Amino acid sequence: MTAYIIRRLLQLVLVLFGVTLITFSMLKLVPGDPAVALAGKGATNERIAFVRHQRGLDRSFYVQYYLYVGRLFHGDLGDSLYSGRPVRTLIWEAAPVTIQLAIAAVLIELLGIPLGVYSALRQYSFWDTALTTAALILWGIPVFVLGYFAMYIFGLKLNWLPIGGVGPTVLWVIPSSWESLKTLILPALTLGMIEVAYISYMQRASMLEVTRSDFIRTARAKGLSERQVIWGHGFKNAVIPVMTIAGIDLGALIGGAIITETVFNRPGIGQMIYLAINQRDIAVIAGGVLFATFFFVFANLLVDLGYAWVDPRVRLGE
Amino acid sequence: MADWDSDKPGRDPYGSNLTEAPAVDARRTQEVVEEIVETGAKPLGLWADTWRRLKRNKLALVGLGIIIVFLCVGTVETVFYQAHWHVRSSPDTRANQRVPGYLAPYDPNEVNYALSPQGIGSPPSWKHLFGADFLGRDVLSRVLIATRIAMLVGIIAVAIALALGLLLGPISGYYGGAVDSVIMRIADIFFAFPYILFVLLIMSVLGQGFQNVFIAIGVLGWASFARIVRGQILSVKSMEYVEAARAQGAGDLRIIFRHVLPNSMAPVYVAVAMAIGGAIATEAALSYLGIGVQPPNSSWGLMIAESVEYLAAGNWWWLLFPSLALVATVFGFISFGNGLRDATDPKLKE
Repeated sequence: MTAYIIRRLLQLVLVLFGVTLITFSMLKLVPGDPAVALAGKGATNERIAFVRHQRGLDRSFYVQYYLYVGRLFHGDLGDSLYSGRPVRTLIWEAAPVTIQLAIAAVLIELLGIPLGVYSALRQYSFWDTALTTAALILWGIPVFVLGYFAMYIFGLKLNWLPIGGVGPTVLWVIPSSWESLKTLILPALTLGMIEVAYISYMQRASMLEVTRSDFIRTARAKGLSERQVIWGHGFKNAVIPVMTIAGIDLGALIGGAIITETVFNRPGIGQMIYLAINQRDIAVIAGGVLFATFFFVFANLLVDLGYAWVDPRVRLGE
Repeated sequence: MADWDSDKPGRDPYGSNLTEAPAVDARRTQEVVEEIVETGAKPLGLWADTWRRLKRNKLALVGLGIIIVFLCVGTVETVFYQAHWHVRSSPDTRANQRVPGYLAPYDPNEVNYALSPQGIGSPPSWKHLFGADFLGRDVLSRVLIATRIAMLVGIIAVAIALALGLLLGPISGYYGGAVDSVIMRIADIFFAFPYILFVLLIMSVLGQGFQNVFIAIGVLGWASFARIVRGQILSVKSMEYVEAARAQGAGDLRIIFRHVLPNSMAPVYVAVAMAIGGAIATEAALSYLGIGVQPPNSSWGLMIAESVEYLAAGNWWWLLFPSLALVATVFGFISFGNGLRDATDPKLKE
């Protein structure tokens, strides 16, 4: 296990190196002189030159990258070119909104596991066909399309739920009132439904594969009850790969959360990036993308370590 | 360094999703041979066998049907679009509203305020089956014209990704060692970004516009193809027929592209189908966010973005029809891809 963790951490360092190199290159590739932007409106040439030197913008690419990573270690993502506020502060304010949505969606996503198992145990039955078809259709629906239809029907026509905004929270992410929870329901269901479809589809496939394997036949042969065979042997082995898939899929979930926020007007990371795109504020875009990527990379690390911990084949596989 | 997770099943950011199937299953070959000996039937080729199994999957057939319809619409619009509307918009042909033989009934960019008296469009009618938008433009015509862009993005972006993947994947899998490590570690970095965010980052540097959508989606997609091809090649390259080819004096390139690749392609075809669906969805998302296709051009994502501004006024038709086209297309590719995977996977053979 230790060897696996070390290997995995080495890989992590490499990935983070690549990711920061890419975001840094993007910052450099954008046309325009960042020193002029940083110095502010109507700055003198001396002032611009001073800022350029102070921020190391007159140094070579490699030195600048080195300085950039050094600033990242201090949590400094630069300042917004539009509002002048530190990107770190913007992210700090926006992140709880996005994290709240992501957690709610993950909780809904878990419903896919029982649905998938049900489908697999009754393969080719009416409900299996219905669930599988629904899953494939939902899987193909872009999150903003589903979001606007949900908003139109439940928000505008039936008037059951608010069509956007966020409410007050305790501990950053837990809605503190019914009104606050209501603002979360539509976005979370929108994002969660698409993930439920995906997870149930994967759980079904995994369960079907496991129930056809030799050790299940052995379990039946030694006289275990059907319940013990399915849940004790089958389900346990079928759910592990799905958890990994869910980990990989977290990237899609984060991306989906970003888009969902623009639909329901939630002031999270997605909304922040969306506004920054319209303002051509590359510092905020790169900062937001980097933040989400770090989150994704570390979440995946935890999932992988958990997977290796429960399934020795993974850590001994190499 | 070894590769930890390339063999893990899962949705990669490009929208393709596969478990890598072994290219050849000895047991299955044996069964087929026995069946042929018993029945005296002619052996089925790989494609005939795949089609036989695909036919039984109704969802996959529906998907295939949808793909064919939208491809036809896209092709017709691509071939005839320019010439057709050029003639139509010249003043002397103005009176002649309908030119028979083409799909879009009206000029997709023709503004007609009579159809949008309150500035919120008009609902579907017999003359305008899908209604009209806030500028009085015919929604049906715009949906049809947008098919062209969706199909172009899907095919061109995936072609770029596939070309890069088919170049780097075989190199990685066949040579192994340091080359393999470097290519696969770079692929890891591409997989580390949440996909849509990576596309947004690239687009914000390249600038808006739909040519850049091709580039962004295409360049970011190579990693998943490279991984799939690499995995396939690893499982094929130690087979006897590759050794036989080498014994006959075939060079590396010949072995890779004549012997190994053709026997590794089934999962790649599946990934292509899924990736086209993913690319179309991504284009829609980018256009929806305002950095893909720019007005007055038409794209499903852009139409959805335009329509939602007026959603409170209750004009559902303008949201519904582009959404239906988008969802149907993406569903078509995903469902066909899924069916194709099941049909080419020896493990699932009954």
